[in-house]
Amino acid sequence: MKRILIVDDEKDIVETLSFMLKTKGYDCICAYDGEEGLNIAKNINPDLVILDVMMPKINGYKICRLLKFDNKYKNIPIIMITARSQDEDKLIGEETGADEYITKPFEFSDVLEKIEKYLG
Amino acid sequence: MTKIFLLPLDDSHKDEINNLLLSCNFETMEAALELEDILTQIHHFCPDIILVENTLLNCEYIIRQIKSVAKNQNTQIILLMDSSFKTDYITLFDGIIEYPLKKDVLLAVISSHFKIKKSLDRLYENNKELSRSLYQLNVLYNTSSQFTGTLNTTKLCDIMTEAMEKTLSFDISSVLIFQNKIPVFNLNTIHAPSDNLIDALKIRSILNYKTLFDESTLPYNTDFDEIKVIKKIKQSRSNKIYGIEIFSYDSLFAPIKVGEDFFGVVELFRKKPFSNEDVTCFQAISHQVALPLRSAKLYEEISIANKKLEKLERLKSEFVSIVSHELRTPLTPVNNALEIVLSGQAGMISSEANNFISMAKRNIQRLSGIIEDLLDLSRIQTGKLDLKYKEVDITPSLELLAKTFLQVANEKNIKINLDIKEKLPLVYADIRRIEQIFSNLVSNALKFTQNEGSISVVGQVIDSSEIDYDKLVMPAIVPDGKYIKISVRDNGIGIKKEDIPKIFDKFSQIESSLNRNKGGVGLGLTITKQLVDSHLGAIWVESEEKQGSVFNVILPLYDKNKVFEMDLTKILINNDDTGIIRICFDSDINLIDELKDKKLLNPSRLSKEAYFNVDKKTIYTLVIPKITSGSFGAFYSSLLDYIKRTYNNGCDIILKKAHSKKDGNDTGKILSILESNAG
Repeated sequence: MKRILIVDDEKDIVETLSFMLKTKGYDCICAYDGEEGLNIAKNINPDLVILDVMMPKINGYKICRLLKFDNKYKNIPIIMITARSQDEDKLIGEETGADEYITKPFEFSDVLEKIEKYLG
Repeated sequence: MTKIFLLPLDDSHKDEINNLLLSCNFETMEAALELEDILTQIHHFCPDIILVENTLLNCEYIIRQIKSVAKNQNTQIILLMDSSFKTDYITLFDGIIEYPLKKDVLLAVISSHFKIKKSLDRLYENNKELSRSLYQLNVLYNTSSQFTGTLNTTKLCDIMTEAMEKTLSFDISSVLIFQNKIPVFNLNTIHAPSDNLIDALKIRSILNYKTLFDESTLPYNTDFDEIKVIKKIKQSRSNKIYGIEIFSYDSLFAPIKVGEDFFGVVELFRKKPFSNEDVTCFQAISHQVALPLRSAKLYEEISIANKKLEKLERLKSEFVSIVSHELRTPLTPVNNALEIVLSGQAGMISSEANNFISMAKRNIQRLSGIIEDLLDLSRIQTGKLDLKYKEVDITPSLELLAKTFLQVANEKNIKINLDIKEKLPLVYADIRRIEQIFSNLVSNALKFTQNEGSISVVGQVIDSSEIDYDKLVMPAIVPDGKYIKISVRDNGIGIKKEDIPKIFDKFSQIESSLNRNKGGVGLGLTITKQLVDSHLGAIWVESEEKQGSVFNVILPLYDKNKVFEMDLTKILINNDDTGIIRICFDSDINLIDELKDKKLLNPSRLSKEAYFNVDKKTIYTLVIPKITSGSFGAFYSSLLDYIKRTYNNGCDIILKKAHSKKDGNDTGKILSILESNAG
């Protein structure tokens, strides 16, 4: 079973997203702030990470950079969730190294499509 | 008393003449022996009349030397001679007296020449006065044209003092003037003023200014310490320092005012007393400066108000942006939760519950749409709309669009026809935004068409000559050439003629009972217009009430060949079909080199693409969809110079649209550079 790490300080978003992903047969691990998310990512080495941008302690950009510039984790696909769609260049660009981004509010089907691109 | 200078006389006459003159009470002086001394004597004595004998050695030479001095021009020279004396240079003299001398003849001649001398002196003085007035008038005339050339208070003040200095050659001028409600004290002097004097003049100016008002109505603060002092001292060789003794000099004072509007006071000090003409001139200048000062004051007020407005507008846009982002986050779990329930993964629900949840879901989507619109508008207004231009075929997008709206149309029993008359050529566009344009238009058509109506989307290629320019929604610039025209036609409620110009304004849904509950916030068309503009297109509406509306959008064609074959001269001269030239700095190396050769660009500093639009008329349009670097202003300025050199016909150059991704303010700067350079 593929393991997906969801990191977002909005518990409601994490809960609904993980519920739907579980029904599609993914194993979901949830983290509710940046620091926790980064620790879990390094511990469990997930197959994919869904990462919110605005978070307390460590923000999404930083986590993304830390993972993508670490040879051990750089192959983990990262999908960023943002409320600011004009950030997309910054998200996907070399600076951060994320693979995909989703704008809030998102349709579940869009998220699934993007996940399957990497894990399908 | 008549002053008579006697050049050396022959001894035989000397005593006789001297006695005669003395008895008549003339003031006389006898000449020294050397010519140099004689000239000095004359210089100090300033005689009215010079007497000379024909027997004097070198007589002609001496007289010529005396006459060559400007100051002596009017001095009457009378020759005393024997009747037998003949000479070629008799015209050198103003009068002649023959020997033997007769007292009454001598007196008569001297007296008449004295009168001549005095008349000549007056004439000379009057002439001098006249040329001085002429000079003052000239300065006044030049100054008035200088005054109209600036709206800068400091400059106006400088022009005023300069004009006064030229015409009145004062020792000190002190000007107290209000710039933007702040008093500034300008001191212009020939020699350095002492500190005491500066303070004294400052106080004097404040007091002078205060006398113009009742104490209670003083408009601005005039605290002594608040007043900024600007000193301008003319380079003077002497170490002289002005002290308060200048208050004993002659002085002129005037308020600077238009009507009851006082801008300041000016006062001049001069050792030499001022003449009536000087006073007139002084008044004229101080009066002249007042009008432009008022304009400058109004201009300053307007610019400040304008800056405030700009700031407010920006804050508003930023506020909209922040709020919209904040709304997106809570919307997400609501949307997700509804999706979960609808999917049945959280347990089966009744079909009625399903209907209501679907309703909630639809409205969430609508809400997201509104937030998107608000964000788009805020991005457009702050210049942050980021368009990704590519050559695209829009037909598939139109087909997809028709399909997307099919369900909604079916619900209202409205037919949607897609009618593409010919294979549409490519356009250079951001396809997502093109879809947004037509999605807005079609959804509007659906909104305002009753059940059983029909909507058609017609695509064709047209020539600019077929466009009715009067109908275009302004501002729009449409160069000659071929365009794709897409028309969205409905047979809905239509728009009143007087409402048509309003529908592209922000938040303007035309008030009417019919469309009160149509949803949306009325931003769709505003955004549509802005997006069409960004693509160099134009939009117009034809509508009749109760008959329906047609929204027409034209987009310029994309011509691939032009991109790669153009050199800069051709770019700017070539005005064929489309009139649109795209420059790809990435792919078109030749062009980069060409531009580099012409020193027009430094590619490393530029964004990936710039977009020029040149038409046959005198309007040249530069369109820069993407600006990422802060230093491209120089490039556009030099390009502009090049255009102006090439088209030396005083063309207008308009920067139609520019978006800066990183910094919207930069774009504003470029706009102003281009516009101010445009000839």
